[in-house]
Amino acid sequence: MMGSSRFQAGVSLLAFAVLGLFLLYPLWLVLQSSVQDEAGGFTLAPYAQIVSSRYYLGSLGNSLLAGAMSMVLASAVAVPLAFCLARLQVPGKLLLLALASVPMVLPSFVGAYALVLLFGRVGIVTVALRSAGIAVGPIYGMPGIVAVFTLTLYPYVLLPTLAGFRAVDASMEEAARNLGASRWHAFRTVLLPIVAPSVLAGALLVFIEALENYGVPAVLAEDRPFLALDIFKLFAGESDPNAAAAGALSVLLVGCTAVVLLLQRSYLARRRFATGARRAAPPIPASRGWRLLATAFCWGVVLLSLLPFAAVVVISFQHFQGPVMSWQPGLGNYRNLLKGSYRPLANTLALASLAAAAACVLGAPLGYVLARQRGRLSALLGILATAPFAVSGTVLGIGLVIAFNSGWLVLTGGWLILVVAYAVRKLPLSVRSASAAVHQIDPSLEEASINLGLSPGRTFLTLTVPLMLGGLAGGAVLVWVAATAEISSTIVLYSSRWTTMTVLMLHALEGTAPGEATAAASILILVTTAPLLLAYRLLRRHSGSLL
Amino acid sequence: MRAVDGISLAVAEGELFTLLGPSGCGKTTLLRMIAGFAEVERGSIWFGGQRIDQLPAHRRNIGMVFQSYAVFPNLTVEQNVAYGLRTRKVSRQDIRDRVAEALALVRLPDHGARWPHELSGGQLQRVAIARSLVIKPAVLLFDEPLSNLDAQLRTHMRVEIRRLQQSLGLTALYVTHDQEEALAISDRIAVLRGGRVEQVGPPEAIYRTPQTAFVAAFMGATNIIPGVVAGFDGTAATVAAGGAAFLVRGQAGAPGAKVLLSIRPETMRPVDRPDADGPVLAVRLQLREFLGPLLRLHAALPDGTPIRIVTLGGHGVPATADGTLSLAYDPTQIIAFPAP
Repeated sequence: MMGSSRFQAGVSLLAFAVLGLFLLYPLWLVLQSSVQDEAGGFTLAPYAQIVSSRYYLGSLGNSLLAGAMSMVLASAVAVPLAFCLARLQVPGKLLLLALASVPMVLPSFVGAYALVLLFGRVGIVTVALRSAGIAVGPIYGMPGIVAVFTLTLYPYVLLPTLAGFRAVDASMEEAARNLGASRWHAFRTVLLPIVAPSVLAGALLVFIEALENYGVPAVLAEDRPFLALDIFKLFAGESDPNAAAAGALSVLLVGCTAVVLLLQRSYLARRRFATGARRAAPPIPASRGWRLLATAFCWGVVLLSLLPFAAVVVISFQHFQGPVMSWQPGLGNYRNLLKGSYRPLANTLALASLAAAAACVLGAPLGYVLARQRGRLSALLGILATAPFAVSGTVLGIGLVIAFNSGWLVLTGGWLILVVAYAVRKLPLSVRSASAAVHQIDPSLEEASINLGLSPGRTFLTLTVPLMLGGLAGGAVLVWVAATAEISSTIVLYSSRWTTMTVLMLHALEGTAPGEATAAASILILVTTAPLLLAYRLLRRHSGSLL
Repeated sequence: MRAVDGISLAVAEGELFTLLGPSGCGKTTLLRMIAGFAEVERGSIWFGGQRIDQLPAHRRNIGMVFQSYAVFPNLTVEQNVAYGLRTRKVSRQDIRDRVAEALALVRLPDHGARWPHELSGGQLQRVAIARSLVIKPAVLLFDEPLSNLDAQLRTHMRVEIRRLQQSLGLTALYVTHDQEEALAISDRIAVLRGGRVEQVGPPEAIYRTPQTAFVAAFMGATNIIPGVVAGFDGTAATVAAGGAAFLVRGQAGAPGAKVLLSIRPETMRPVDRPDADGPVLAVRLQLREFLGPLLRLHAALPDGTPIRIVTLGGHGVPATADGTLSLAYDPTQIIAFPAP
């Protein structure tokens, strides 16, 4: 389109400028800091230091291992779950689906903390079991971390896989059966290969998320090395900070996630088997026993994944004496928490709202251009718009600090730097949901509008935006919810004036106030769950396309 | 590789001009170039004295009816029709009058307040037409407007479109791959193939005197039979084809030249016995298809080459399926093309 190319060029330029300034430039500075010695010359010493250090190699190994194990386990849980939801009659399917997407955006370290509260050294269950004479193994370190990642990240596999199963036309399976395949054989040779790309796409996202996560290892790792933790410690730690080593570790972390994300994209681009079903496959007529089993499995997984959050809410209403809980209901934790100030709550809400607005303003036109435009520039833009997924929040935070600590634009210590970090990090959510919404709009609608005399820019504002409103609103809510739960960049960027709920929570549970931490977590859960369910309603038509 | 290449067409005012061709022939690309949705690499497009190919799409004042109708789902019928007028800053009163007038023209006078999802396919089509009529476009473009309608509605709508176009004196460009639709509706037709124009002319000329074998084959199911010119007696040539000898008016080619004969199924007439009046062909009947008003016969020439014949009713057709059949034909109705 000739007239609209100016509009698209404008949007592309804006996106390149924003992501260049707030994503690529900070990352470049991180890379630079890792290869510069004090005199400003080129050096690889920080990398040599890492490679020769058993501790840092262990850190890398632990992170990769946790990511890989979480990826495998999350897939093992999510694929059968997706199949049951797609093809079996499971009661309460819609509710199940809505609930299943909740753990994805709740702060995962709250789940980790719940695990400590229940199964930790002085956890409620541990103590109860010990008094009954049963010894419980430690949940700290790898087992607990992988468990939490699996239970909070499996929706990343579930949603695309479910969409994949639903997009397989009934005739595929019927053809296989007609050619003599048993139901199981047809599943193995036709259905599973068709959805495999969707499964892998989701699984790689689990890997990325697990690799960059700060909160969960912060709660459960104790003294074991993990990349995200060590980067933060080296950059901002009280004992011997080492910015160059932090930079080198950051480069390794971002390198790993970037490679995985690129693999995921190129793999997915080459294999798009499931292309929308004319006729969805009918539910499989299963015996009563199988149906019961499937129902128990589905509800079991979903409830188990929500259990830690529910436990935190319940515990938050109990009485705490210092770190010791007693089963006396009361609002003491909330009183203590809010006695200090409402400030962190207000900060969290305000920062998340600003970030959601910013991500939407950039994400909507960007998602539109990506959905409508083909070509090399657009492909590059697509990669750039997904890149924030692969960038650890901690690393981005460090980059932003280096970039905007001095010079023509000083942002450190203020609120804007948090908004920038959130908006950039969560931009893919808003871009993806905008793109998904645009894909539903027949391009000839816009051509009709232009043909009737409206310029492409005004057509976008007055016709396209209203038509994609559901997707936009859903994307905005997702960004908002994800921003309220954000910890990995916040921990680097917050200042005392701009403390958020997540920081408050992390400090409370590192300190001696677990009661207040649970109260803070409960407030956060409440504040995020309601809008999330709203977003789910808005986005239901293109569920699965969010990832 | 160009979608359209070397095309030069002039459309007269008040004319309904059709671009006809198989899918991928470039007809839609050409239409989209005129509307401003596809880039013109070289060449120009003019409206009267004004060159328009460099104007942005929204300044061209061209109406377009889309294949998918593209009726805005978020606006009512009235708002859809008013859309182009609003962008042209027409006064509120004028908008109301002109929208009502346009809806009356397409016979939807009481549907202004309805939502698109409440309308049938045919009604949506009318809304789309009203929406592009109301802006008084210099040219109205139709991009396969009837392809999403069922067969009955299709014939009905094309009559209505033609009536509207003639009564309003509109200049219209119409794209279709359906030759019957093109023949029925057009003042003139351009047959496109591989991005180039094969032939331009009024429907009758295109049908009766196709200039290429492609046009002959595309304009309705004709029999294309390869043959060799045997001789010329001054008025008609004899062509050996399919194991028989055909009389073809004109020279057809030098003796020994390879040709393709186009014989329309309806130009042959089954006769009871070899007639003295004109040339007769003997074929072997293989299958009969009863189509209601028509009877289609599938037969074979002496060497087995298949040939189809269409007749009204069933006079002179032997009752048995394996009998021979005599066909009378008019040499002026057979066209010989040089074989490629």
